[in-house]
Amino acid sequence: MVQCPSCARSQQPRLVCSQCGAPLAVDLDFFAALDLPRVLQTDNATLEANYYDLGRRIHPDRFATAPSEIRDASLRATALLTRAYRTLRDPVSRGLYWLELHDHKLAEDNKQVPPDLAELVFEVQEELSELRALRQHSSDEARQGLLKLRSRRANLQGLLDELYAELFQNFAAFDAGGGRDREQLFAELKTILSKIAYLKSLVRDVDNELR
Amino acid sequence: MSRIFGIDLGTTNSLIAFMDGSEPRVIPDPESGNCLLPSVVSISHNGVIQVGYPAIELEFAQDFDGKELNPRTPPSRPFEGVVVRSVKRYMGLGGDDLAPEDRQRYSFADLSGPVVRFNVNGRSYTPSQISAEILKALKRRAEAVMGEQVTRAVITVPAYFNDGQRQATKDAGRFAGLEVVRLLNEPTAASLAYGLQRNSEGKVAVYDFGGGTFDISLLNIKGGVFEVLATNGDTHLGGDDIDRALVDWLLSDCPELKQNRRIWSSARRIAEAAKKELSTADFTRLELDLGERHLVKDLSRDEFERIAEPIVNRTLECCRRAMDDARLTPDDIDEVVLVGGSTRTPLVRERIAEFFGRQPLCSIDPDQVVALGAAVQAGVLMGTQSDVLLLDVVPLSLGIETMGGVMERLIHRNTTIPTSATEIFTTAVDNQTHVDVHVLQGERELARDCRSLARFKLGPIEPQPAGLPRIEVTFLIDANGILNVTARDQRTGREHSVDVKPSYGLTEDEIERMLEESIELGEADIEQRLLINARNEATQILTALAKQLKDYPDLIENEERQRIEQLAAKLESSRSGEDRELINRLVEELNQLSTPFAERIMNHAINQALQRKSVEELS
Repeated sequence: MVQCPSCARSQQPRLVCSQCGAPLAVDLDFFAALDLPRVLQTDNATLEANYYDLGRRIHPDRFATAPSEIRDASLRATALLTRAYRTLRDPVSRGLYWLELHDHKLAEDNKQVPPDLAELVFEVQEELSELRALRQHSSDEARQGLLKLRSRRANLQGLLDELYAELFQNFAAFDAGGGRDREQLFAELKTILSKIAYLKSLVRDVDNELR
Repeated sequence: MSRIFGIDLGTTNSLIAFMDGSEPRVIPDPESGNCLLPSVVSISHNGVIQVGYPAIELEFAQDFDGKELNPRTPPSRPFEGVVVRSVKRYMGLGGDDLAPEDRQRYSFADLSGPVVRFNVNGRSYTPSQISAEILKALKRRAEAVMGEQVTRAVITVPAYFNDGQRQATKDAGRFAGLEVVRLLNEPTAASLAYGLQRNSEGKVAVYDFGGGTFDISLLNIKGGVFEVLATNGDTHLGGDDIDRALVDWLLSDCPELKQNRRIWSSARRIAEAAKKELSTADFTRLELDLGERHLVKDLSRDEFERIAEPIVNRTLECCRRAMDDARLTPDDIDEVVLVGGSTRTPLVRERIAEFFGRQPLCSIDPDQVVALGAAVQAGVLMGTQSDVLLLDVVPLSLGIETMGGVMERLIHRNTTIPTSATEIFTTAVDNQTHVDVHVLQGERELARDCRSLARFKLGPIEPQPAGLPRIEVTFLIDANGILNVTARDQRTGREHSVDVKPSYGLTEDEIERMLEESIELGEADIEQRLLINARNEATQILTALAKQLKDYPDLIENEERQRIEQLAAKLESSRSGEDRELINRLVEELNQLSTPFAERIMNHAINQALQRKSVEELS
C-alpha cells in the first residue's frame, strides 16, 4: 500500500492517485504501470489507450506550478510510464523484459551465433562482401549481385516472419499456463529472441547495402 | 501564481509573447512598436551593455574608418568594445569547438576551458551571460507593457540542441532572473502555433529559414506526441547570404569599394531593404551614397531571383537529405510550416511549394510563429490550455562509454520524454572503491565520435571482491531533454550522491558565483542603463532641433535662436559626461525653451497642408 502525498489516501500502488488524481512516485513493474494484466499477449489498443490516458493525467506539464514534491513525482511517474510503453509495445523487447522480470536474463556473455543460423549468417556475409567488391569494378555483375541480394532480402523476411509466429506461440503458451513446463518455455523464448536479434542485424546489413 | 511567458531566443532576432485569453500575442517594444529584438549585444570597454538596435548602431560605428565619406552626415565616434551577433551559435560550446573564423572575429578568453568566454577589455563573458542580456531586454519590454513582473518563461531551442546547449540556455534564463519552466523545440513550437497537434495523425515539415541559419525538421504528430523524424540544416546559411550576394551584384562594377568596410555595411543595409521591397514589388532601385557621387542601380524581381536562386537551392538540398534520412517522399508530408523572415521571399515559397507539392502554411507571421507557439505551451503549463498536451522527444541518443571505447545506448533518440533508463555498475578488480562513468550523447558507434556530456565517479564503495557490488544508476531525462543522474546501491539500498561534472558548460558553483557577481553589479547596471537612456534622449532632441533650425530659419527670431543654440551646446558637452541628472535637467530645459518654436513649425505645417488642400479642391 502507498500513501498519496497530496490527499493522504492509502491505496494499492498505481501511477495516479485514485482519489485526487495526483501523480505517485512508486516503483512498479511495467505491466502494473500501464494498468495491464501481467500477460504476454498484450492487447495493443488497450496498451496505447492506457498510455495516452495516463500520460495526459500525470505529465509534468500538468504540474508545472505544483509544489516540488508533486512535480518530482510527476516526472518520475511519467518517465516510468514512457519506459514501460516503449518496452511493452514491441514484442521482442516485451519478451526480453519478461525474461528479466522472471530472473531469466539472456546471458550477457552469450554472443555466439545461434547454431541453426550460423550457416545462413555466413552465406549472407559472403554475398555482401562479394557485392561490395563487384561494385568497385563491373556494373553488369554488380547488377546481378544486387538482384540476388534482393531475393535474399525477401527470403530473410520470410524467416523473420516465421520466428515472430513462433514467438507469439510461445507467448500464448505462457499465458495459457499449466500444461507445458515453464522452464522449457523460458529456454524456448531465449532461443527465439536471440535468433530474431541475429536475423534483424543481418537484415539491417542487407538493407544498408541495398540503399 | 505569476504568468508564464513564451520566448523565442533566436540567432538573429528574439521575441517575447504571452497568452491573451486564448490567443497568443507577441509583445512589441513600447516605444518603437517593433516586435523583433535583434539578438545583438554590445559590450563597451567599460562594461556598458546594450541590446538590439542600439547595439547595431554601435556595430555600424565600429566600421567607421576615420574618414567621413559624406560631409553631411554627423561624425560618429568609433565604438570601443565588442558587438556580439548570433551568440546562440556559441551556446554550450567549449574552447575546442571554436572554428578559426570565430577566433578571427572575436577575442576569446580561455580556449581550452569547457565554456567559451568572450573577452572584452580583460573581462570575460560566457555565451549564457550574453544571451541573458537579450532575455533581460525582453523581460524589461514585457514588464513595461504588461505592468507586471516577468519571472517565468518557456524558451525555445532548435530540435538538434544537445544537452550542453540546452543547459546553457537554461543558465541564461537564470542569469536573467527567469525561471525557465520549459525548453521547447522550435519546430514543435511552430506546429503548436498552428494547432497541428489537434490533427489526429500526420507528418509535418517545418522549414525555418532565418537570418543566419537554416533548419528543416520533419515531425510526426500522433495523439499529441511530436516525434522528430529527422532534422537537417546549415548553421551558416540564411537570408544574410542573399544580402551578401546582392551586395556583390551592386558593387560588381567597382569591386574596390568592397574593401571599404563602411561602404560595405551601408551597401548591405540597402541590399536588405531592396530584398524586402521585392517581396511585394516587381522593381526596386538601390541607391548607395558615396559622398561625392551616388551609385544607382535598378533591380527587377527576375534578376533578384536569379541572384538568390543558388542560396534557396542549398536549403532544398538540406530538405532532400532530411527526407532521405526519414525515408520519406514529399507525398508523405501532410503540412509544411514556414518559419523565419527569409520565408517571406516569394521565390522561397514557390520553391518549397514545388518541392513538397503543396502550398506551405504561412498565415502566421513567420518571424513570430515560434514565439507564439512558446506562448501556447506557456498557457498549457499555467493550466489555461487544457486541450493541448505535447509530448516531446529526446533529440539525440544517450549512452555510456563501455570497454573498448564503445558507446552503449541507454536511451535512443526520439524517445518520448520524460523518460529514464537504469544500468547496473560493478567493480572490475577486488577492493575497488570507485567506478568511473562517462556519459555520452550522439548517434555514432564509438565513444570518441560522440559528444561527451559528463563524467562522474560512483563511490566510495566498501571494499569487496570484484563484481560483487551492484550499483544501480538511473539516467533520467526531464521534459526539457536535460539529464539528471541518481545512483543506489542495490544491496544496501543506500542512495549514492552523484557529483556530475559536465564536460561542457558551467558547474553549479560557477553559476552561483556569477549570479552573486551579477547581483553586486546589478545596481551599477541600472545606473548605467539610466545614463544611456538620458544620453539617447539628449541625442534625439539635439538632432531634431538641428534639423528644424536648418529647415525653418524663417520661423525663429535671432535672439531666440541664440538662446536655444547656447543651451544645446551646453547639453552637447554634458552628453558625453557621466552626470545623468544634469543631462536630464538640460533636456527638460531645452524642451521647454524650444516648445514655442516647435508649435510655430506645427502651425506652419498645418497651414501649408490646408493651402495645398484648397488648391487641390479648386483645380
